[in-house]
Amino acid sequence: MSTFRQVLKEIAHRKWNFLLSVIAVITAVAFFVASLTMGKASERETSKIMLGAGFNLRILPRDTDMYEFWIHHFTPHTMPESYCDKILSNPNFTVNHILATLTWEVEVRANDKQAKALWTGIAPERIPPGKPKKPLQPPVKKGQVHLGYHIARDLQLKKGDSITIEGENFEVVKCLQETNNPEGDDIRVYANLADVQRLLKFPEQVNEIKAIDCLCQTSVNETQEQTLERLRREILNVLPDVKVFHWKQIAQMRHEQRLLMRRLVAIIAPAVAVVCLIWIGVLAFLNVRERRAEIGVMRALGYGSGRIAILFVVKAFIIGLLGAAAGFFLGTLFTLQYGEEVFKITAQAIKPWYALLPGVVVLAPIFAALASFIPTMIAVTQDPAQTLRQE
Amino acid sequence: MLHAEHISKIFPTRRGPVQALDDVDLKIDKGEFLVFRGASGSGKTTLLMILGAMQHPTKGKVFAGDVDMYALGPADRARFRAENIGFVFQMFHLVPYLTVLENVMLALKNGSRETTGEEALQLLERLHLADRLDHKPADLSTGQRQRAAIARALITQPKVILADEPTGNLDPENAADVMAYLHEFHQNGGTVIVVTHTAVADQYADRIIHLSNGRLEYR
Repeated sequence: MSTFRQVLKEIAHRKWNFLLSVIAVITAVAFFVASLTMGKASERETSKIMLGAGFNLRILPRDTDMYEFWIHHFTPHTMPESYCDKILSNPNFTVNHILATLTWEVEVRANDKQAKALWTGIAPERIPPGKPKKPLQPPVKKGQVHLGYHIARDLQLKKGDSITIEGENFEVVKCLQETNNPEGDDIRVYANLADVQRLLKFPEQVNEIKAIDCLCQTSVNETQEQTLERLRREILNVLPDVKVFHWKQIAQMRHEQRLLMRRLVAIIAPAVAVVCLIWIGVLAFLNVRERRAEIGVMRALGYGSGRIAILFVVKAFIIGLLGAAAGFFLGTLFTLQYGEEVFKITAQAIKPWYALLPGVVVLAPIFAALASFIPTMIAVTQDPAQTLRQE
Repeated sequence: MLHAEHISKIFPTRRGPVQALDDVDLKIDKGEFLVFRGASGSGKTTLLMILGAMQHPTKGKVFAGDVDMYALGPADRARFRAENIGFVFQMFHLVPYLTVLENVMLALKNGSRETTGEEALQLLERLHLADRLDHKPADLSTGQRQRAAIARALITQPKVILADEPTGNLDPENAADVMAYLHEFHQNGGTVIVVTHTAVADQYADRIIHLSNGRLEYR
């Protein structure tokens, strides 16, 4: 009978010890795979956003009172819509999306109910020539509106209904999902910019321009802050009566999520590994204790320390291999199933990371063998005469 | 054949050192049936383990022919045990997850001797275990377990069998059977050393040596 067969027979005999050890490895591997896969998804998504993304800038009329702006989410000051074209035509920097809006607080009516809303007119998105991109904000046709979640809910409106704004009826073509964001998007009514300009009597005026993915030539050693400052200066050269600030909400959220993942991997993962290491070690120790007589009798039959150690090491490797395979698939399954719930932002970037499998298959058996090292040493160094006398 | 030369064994314990054997000097001839008798704690099992190359004496030497057993390295001593010595224990010490046949074959898998499974089958048949080959130890009676243990000791065709209370857990009928197998081995030229606190082996013994407080007493 080969050593391997003997190990398999022992495993079959002491199933619970084996199963609990495999579960320990599965736990450790699944945790690692899940955190690394989600971490990778987070990095992938962040780098996708940041790659060529440059800076997202918010451009407001110079006289904007920022306190008022942050409280009301709009400024009563306006600037010409044509500023968008000036930005796009500047050769010193490039912008991938320009989004001009005119937002005002209005009263909206429908179904004998009324509510205060932020009415946002969206200009057709200007996209630089040669850079066909999907628009960031879905365009709204004249005479139509898209409703924020709370407005639609409170006024009991659905697609196809009618809503009255500034004395004019608009057709509801879309009711948006709840966002809960601090920009007040849930109480917005999106309309065509021309409609808003006409009814508010601000022809060809806007009160905010979002310049997304602004890039300019930078030197290698330039910091992010220096590049940002340069971009700001460039814009102010073209548009002296505006104020420009960095709009980093999305990037920051992703950055924080990535940091969270790193912290998770850096702190919790080693803790899980240590707990599992101890867990396997204790089980291996119990296994050695239970097999003292067997070890003693094998010594009496002339088996050396090496052969006895191999029995435990091979078992540890089997535990590690099975745990690695099962842990990888369980961790991946968990990530695919629940990762989307936990990390909403990177949900789309979560996908199985098969490249982890070879590493896990190599490392987990080493991990299990390491956990069994001390018990194995106890097994090979115990005095067989003493054992056989006591048992 | 075996010569224990001024053997002493001291076990360190929490309550201080315990002298298990005290200057034991003994020669055992080839083909001898030797019985060590003594009360519990008299040192007889310790002496058996030392004679079986299983436990270093604190003082003294053990020779098997010209070979100083404890001058050998661990690997050579293990090989020496595999090739020359068979053990039979009171608690049988069969490997619980192996069948009767596998337990017997286990003794051969350490390179002690080339043999075929056929030889093990014949031996087990002779020990009335032919219908228990695929049974695990837990499925056997105590008598059957000890017979399986004896088969495991015999399969390597050792020169010496060391038996530590081999009938301690058996009823008189099974005890008589076990002693008969050891006697048969002795009749075929093997050396048998039995440690016991009863008179069960006396009728087969060439020599009976009493142990008391780690010393030999010749009566």
